[in-house]
Amino acid sequence: MTEPEGNGADRGVRRTLLSVFLGWLVPGLGHVFLGRVRRGVFFGLLLWASFGFGLAHDARLSLRDDKQPLLTGLQVVANLGMGPIDPIVRLFVYGEVTYSMKGGDKAVQRVETFRARERSPLSIYGTAYVWTAGLMNLLLLFDLWDIGRGRRGDA
Amino acid sequence: MRSHLFHMLIFAGLLSAYFAVLLRDEKRERIRFGLFLWGGLVGGALVLAFLMAP
Repeated sequence: MTEPEGNGADRGVRRTLLSVFLGWLVPGLGHVFLGRVRRGVFFGLLLWASFGFGLAHDARLSLRDDKQPLLTGLQVVANLGMGPIDPIVRLFVYGEVTYSMKGGDKAVQRVETFRARERSPLSIYGTAYVWTAGLMNLLLLFDLWDIGRGRRGDA
Repeated sequence: MRSHLFHMLIFAGLLSAYFAVLLRDEKRERIRFGLFLWGGLVGGALVLAFLMAP
């Protein structure tokens, strides 16, 4: 018995969407899932190295500020590009998973921690590495989509 | 490490490697494109720095 044509296409889209999700979950994993192991390992190492190097240099883990909602919102998006490792790191740095300057019992302590990291002379470097890692991973999600949909070659 | 130059070289290397693999498929093309990008980023930054503070 043959399957209707739509099922194969749906499976392809589902597989691609799963790879995109995996790529966000663990940078590099989406490519490995699609069979691009070397590409996945390369990008994974590059992004994790950038992220780790950034954290070692007192990277600012951005918090949304109502005074500059667009700019700080985009910074949070860049942080979140690295996936669930971002909230895990926030838990260690701020003592809670938080993305806003305001709210919660620990708001004062949170802003103090944020400012302390900001004052670190290494912070400008670390922040650049961490934001770049997140943005690069977000761009890789489009690469995964293209690979999954057959729009890229075998390299 | 607080050297601007060190971080500029590393950061340019990181970006160049990333975009070379992302945008080029052949090994030779990747190396050429990566080096071109790295040179452009580092050279551009040095030229800009010189123009701003000659």
